[in-house]
Amino acid sequence: MTYSVLQGLRVVELGESASAPYCAKLLADMGAEVVKIERPGVGDQAREYGPFLKDQPHHERSGLFLYLNTNKQGVTLDLETPTGKEILGGLLAQSQVFVHNLHPTEMDRLGLGYDSLKAHNDQLVMASITPFGLTGPYRNYKAYDINLAAAGGICEGLGSPDREPLTFGTSEVGYFAAMAAASSIVIALLAGGGQHIDIAEVEAMSGIYNGPEALMAVYEWRMTRRTGHHALDFPYPNCILRCKDGYIFVGSPEGRQWRTLLEVMGNPEWAKEDRFRNRTTMNNEYADEVDGYMEEWLLQRTKAELLALALEHRLPLAPVRDFGEVRNDESLADLFAAIDRPDTGPIAFAGPPYVLSGQEVRPPQPAPLLGQHNADIYCDWLGYTKEELVKLYQTGII
Amino acid sequence: MSQEDRTAQAGPLTGYRVLDFGWVLAGALPGMVLADMGAEVMKVETRQRMDYMRLGRPIIGDKPDPEQHPLFHNVNRGKLSIALNTTKPEAIDLIKALVAHCDVVIENFSPGVMDRLGIGYDVISGIKPEIIMASISSNGQTGPLRDLRAYAPSIGALAGLDSTMGYEGERPLGLKHAYADIAGALHSVFAIVSALHQKKQTGRGQYIDVSMLRATVVTMGAGLMEYEMTGRVMGPKGNHDPVMAPYGNYPCQGDDDWVSIAVRTEEEWQGLKTAMGSPSWCEKEQFASRYSRLGNRRELDENLSTWTRERTAGDITELLQSHGVAAIPVMGAEDRLFNPHFQERGLYSDIDHPALGTEPIYNIMWNLDRTPPSIRRHAPLLGEHNQQIFGGLLGIDKEEIARLEEQEVLW
Repeated sequence: MTYSVLQGLRVVELGESASAPYCAKLLADMGAEVVKIERPGVGDQAREYGPFLKDQPHHERSGLFLYLNTNKQGVTLDLETPTGKEILGGLLAQSQVFVHNLHPTEMDRLGLGYDSLKAHNDQLVMASITPFGLTGPYRNYKAYDINLAAAGGICEGLGSPDREPLTFGTSEVGYFAAMAAASSIVIALLAGGGQHIDIAEVEAMSGIYNGPEALMAVYEWRMTRRTGHHALDFPYPNCILRCKDGYIFVGSPEGRQWRTLLEVMGNPEWAKEDRFRNRTTMNNEYADEVDGYMEEWLLQRTKAELLALALEHRLPLAPVRDFGEVRNDESLADLFAAIDRPDTGPIAFAGPPYVLSGQEVRPPQPAPLLGQHNADIYCDWLGYTKEELVKLYQTGII
Repeated sequence: MSQEDRTAQAGPLTGYRVLDFGWVLAGALPGMVLADMGAEVMKVETRQRMDYMRLGRPIIGDKPDPEQHPLFHNVNRGKLSIALNTTKPEAIDLIKALVAHCDVVIENFSPGVMDRLGIGYDVISGIKPEIIMASISSNGQTGPLRDLRAYAPSIGALAGLDSTMGYEGERPLGLKHAYADIAGALHSVFAIVSALHQKKQTGRGQYIDVSMLRATVVTMGAGLMEYEMTGRVMGPKGNHDPVMAPYGNYPCQGDDDWVSIAVRTEEEWQGLKTAMGSPSWCEKEQFASRYSRLGNRRELDENLSTWTRERTAGDITELLQSHGVAAIPVMGAEDRLFNPHFQERGLYSDIDHPALGTEPIYNIMWNLDRTPPSIRRHAPLLGEHNQQIFGGLLGIDKEEIARLEEQEVLW
């Protein structure tokens, strides 16, 4: 599903992996016209990430690339060359937004700072998504997802005591940086354009995601510690437990929810013990023991049965679903749209996570083949002739 | 910059006004962002049913105090607070009067509550057609899961997020963060400001229905596509990456001291080797290529750990980064608060709060160079701005406001 909310907005993306590509995808799914620039012959490194259709590796069949780049047009451009930079300038002159995730050292090396690029368009909104930001002592540090999660506060509290701290199951930091960048871009446009936005991926975690933890630490208030599947200082239960066919999240932040849950469980004797009167104490001191009592009951029931009980009694129980179960959840069917593409046939991709009423919608377009829209963009936008296009190709510029 | 200066400085959204029914976390965050960007955000709350984030143990003394919750102080800074008891019909009338002055309405009550109160989108857009209203809920305003009682961890479970979160091959531990709240809130901000952009161009309003479940699912690209492309489902993955080795958090010399290290390219592997002084184990055949290192990553991790254990996370970081290798310590909250990089970039600001004094409050770090966001004031006391809003904006006189307070309408 593609909305037309940002219709008329032209965006140039120079992005690899997740952060800048997901940012531009958010804009594209809202109706902006996005041109994605890739390196000639190689392309976005997400093309080699996979997962590949039927495990047949091919740079046009990488699931992550195809997902993050739907609704975009694709061109190739070698920014190592003066001609390539001139062409980029031409694209920016006709656009309102430029988003990239070049490392700061690469921005320096290629001369792609805001001051030089705004010479092409003084109203340009440029968003630079970098690991640690454009200033500060770590500016030039390298980082991948786990490093950003580690510095951003994801890892310290995840895992078991005496074992290594864990990170997200799959790379996630880029998505948070992308959301920050996409909103910042639109906010900058609302304020009149002509701005440079500095988004540090690590700060997508250490800011909005984990920022309050500093004050929590100052007051020693619900500190995150590695305590396995339990979290300290919450009322029990607030954890994932075993059930008949897998795992279920069991919560009950409100006292009445806990009383209802016990009722549904048949008011077991163990719950009447004095030492379980305070549920935070129960969580912090007896959680493993109580898990056993709870699982005795849960193991008799499937995830589906427990979900039905949750809906009936307004209890916060939730099945731990794998990605197959998520994909096959009928209530999410309209989140996914099948997109046909020569190299893969129809594949379903998730669209925008919001429903906008009364907006014109269009079916989504597939991610571009490498250099697919070179002629459309370079000839139609920038006015290069077909002969010049051939020369640009023959000389490795595009 | 003093707090007075901060308040006075215009932001990119100065001039926009927001009626913010958002509470707890997912609902409170969008208004917080808009306030930092300069919008006037009026938080609608009530003693009748207090925002959960005002509850909990007090920092000072032993009596419950709605002004002492550290999370509340973080995620409601910059807002104005008006106390309105929505169980009273007069409060609903006041809300309708306020809507006429607003550009955006945000709410995250259970689906159906706004309609039941008589202030659903139909009513609100009837008052002001160009209004933008965002409803944030766990599972959307429609569908079979609409009425499921769900919190951030429930949604992490339902979205597939938790299925990969744990040590490789072991039970899922779950992610003990409010991931779904934040994913829901951030997608909401994007939808809201996009709708404002459209409103500016065309004058049209918009209703936005954001599901936190959907907002979490769309960030699961790798896991969703694994199933879509291969039919396989992922289980708990530990710190294993499909294309990188070494990749993990490695033990260091200090107590519970860890460093994250990730190596993607051959050049980075050579950098790591050189930084370690080219130990002989690096030359083993099983570590000779990216491919073989991935296949033998457990043995690789063991060898690398013997080296990291002899050093501090800080020393390793400096050494490896100087050789072009991605490394950074696993940081705790205090590490970030006192870290020179984050300090130079201004991750935290000292904000004075009337109940607790000076506190480190995080900045959103969306750095727009010409119109930067800033924390404009401390989180409001409950009802702190009744006089300013009902007197100033709506022109209600003092006696009438006193009566409304007396009768627990402004409550």
